[in-house]
Amino acid sequence: MGQTITQKILARVAEREHVGPGENHAVRPDYMIAYDFPGYTDRFFRQMEEDFGMTQVAEPDRYVLFVDHMLTNNDAREAEVHKVTRDWAHKNGVHFHENEGIGHQVAAELGYARPGTFLIHFDGHISSLGAFGALGMGVRRDLLEGWVTGGIHLDVPASTRFHLTGGFAPGVESRDLIHQIISDIGADGVAFQVMEYTGPGAESMPLGHRQSLCGMAMFAGGVSAIFNPDEMSLEYSRGVTDRDLGPLYSDPDAVYTARHDYDLDQLSPQVVLPGSARSSHTVPVGDVAGQSINRAFIGSCASGRIEDIRAAAEILEGKKVASGIELNVVPTSKRIYDQAESEGLLTVLRDAGAQVVDSSCDFCFGYAKPLAAGESCVSTGVLNISGRMGSPDSEIYMGSASTVAASALAGRLTDPREAVQ
Amino acid sequence: MTTGTTTTSGTPSSSGSALPDVMTGRVAWIFGDDFDIDLMIGVANIKYTDPEKLHAVCMKAYEEDFTDHVRAGDWLVGGRNFGYGHPHYVAMTAMRNEGIVGVLAESFSPGFWRGEISNGMPLLSVPGISTAVERWDDLEVDWRAATVRVPGKDLVLQGEVLNERYLTMLAAGGRYQLLLEEHRQRTR
Repeated sequence: MGQTITQKILARVAEREHVGPGENHAVRPDYMIAYDFPGYTDRFFRQMEEDFGMTQVAEPDRYVLFVDHMLTNNDAREAEVHKVTRDWAHKNGVHFHENEGIGHQVAAELGYARPGTFLIHFDGHISSLGAFGALGMGVRRDLLEGWVTGGIHLDVPASTRFHLTGGFAPGVESRDLIHQIISDIGADGVAFQVMEYTGPGAESMPLGHRQSLCGMAMFAGGVSAIFNPDEMSLEYSRGVTDRDLGPLYSDPDAVYTARHDYDLDQLSPQVVLPGSARSSHTVPVGDVAGQSINRAFIGSCASGRIEDIRAAAEILEGKKVASGIELNVVPTSKRIYDQAESEGLLTVLRDAGAQVVDSSCDFCFGYAKPLAAGESCVSTGVLNISGRMGSPDSEIYMGSASTVAASALAGRLTDPREAVQ
Repeated sequence: MTTGTTTTSGTPSSSGSALPDVMTGRVAWIFGDDFDIDLMIGVANIKYTDPEKLHAVCMKAYEEDFTDHVRAGDWLVGGRNFGYGHPHYVAMTAMRNEGIVGVLAESFSPGFWRGEISNGMPLLSVPGISTAVERWDDLEVDWRAATVRVPGKDLVLQGEVLNERYLTMLAAGGRYQLLLEEHRQRTR
């Protein structure tokens, strides 16, 4: 019986020929990643030393630390957290990346997410690395098991296949696809499974769009998402690492829990109403067009990539953000920031009235420029529960970068197809 | 929380487990589908860890005097996909402080599942549970066998038995205790 790419990657790190859905195995991840955050990593450091007697990790090459949160403030207590992380990383000789962008993106740029690799992180949005044929899983505080023992016990997930044909129409993006999928199958439609994207629509999709799609898997109940490697992702990987690539692919007779077919040509822009990304909150943007907003945000680990910034710049070029609207644009990494600058995109956005900000996680979780009570924001962030971006009495609508740009231009929720025609 | 009453009694642990094999308690609350646990304490409070503060805000959006009625050994019941969203740990910390010992739900969200099993809290997927029981029903929960007996309704519901790793983790008292035990064995 054939295996999925997920089974093959997990079989490799479990040192087995075959693993099957539902089995629990101890596996040895290629990389064990964390971002520093008070109460998580600082606690890990203390526990490892005081309770486990570990003063030095045995295989530092497998540990990766990012400082990508709390960069927009100079709070002394949080500066101390960064210092503790910096010192621990230096002492242990692990990979350490500070202020280079959101870790889930930087992990791709630095070649950690090679095809066939398996990566764990505290945070579930590491699933975005599935765009490169790597398998990323968020394991929450169980990350400590990996840090202490070098391995982690995992349940092997089943996979559901999403077969894509066609291509996105102008003004439609992968954020619209994932929200449409959640609307169709429910917030637990692929519970405890991996979402595997296949088909010509998947193969023609730019890498940034693949990352958005994979990074939001948790809101459909997925434990991860993945594309099989293809020339596009292999070429990217060859450009960011000298290490050998070990691409793995699903067998033609691999077994899936279900298959869903999507024709990308048929998709329309979707908006998620304030509260959560559950099915009943996801509607075509036309259903809520006209809803007034006063804040707009393009960024996050899901949607601040070069494709998103190009889409926003195309809509905003030669125009001005509506009066009373604050549009913040946060490229997902420094590298993306520099590319957008060199392509002239950031100049276009600034000329339109946007504020372009250095890369970090801070806008997405309400640390930078938090929303005030009564404010309403349209966002490409990953979560829109009340209070996520500031006051619990503010509202967050989620959509694609095109929807955010078109809405910022109009001062109200707007179908981006009106702006790109 | 009502004090002075401990109802996590029943069949003793089979092997020195941190949890009795059978736990008796009541249904303290029944939540709906896709429930975001942050709402138990309010999103504005998810960064607090002070027990007094968490006690003061626990379930206020649902019932003003919830914490006056709940007692040690009680269970939460949920619908499908319990724990959906970004399940911060603090909400269940608040519930544990009030005496809640586990969650029985139609199904769970993966992030919540992993996080709370690791924290040593028994979670059982029990088809039909959200409509089969009512608030304050007495329960006898065998977390190893995944059975839920409801004496007042002469009802036994069969849930999904946890795999060996999760059973071991719960018996140890959670992921951290298990890691420490395994570490001691490795370095002995």
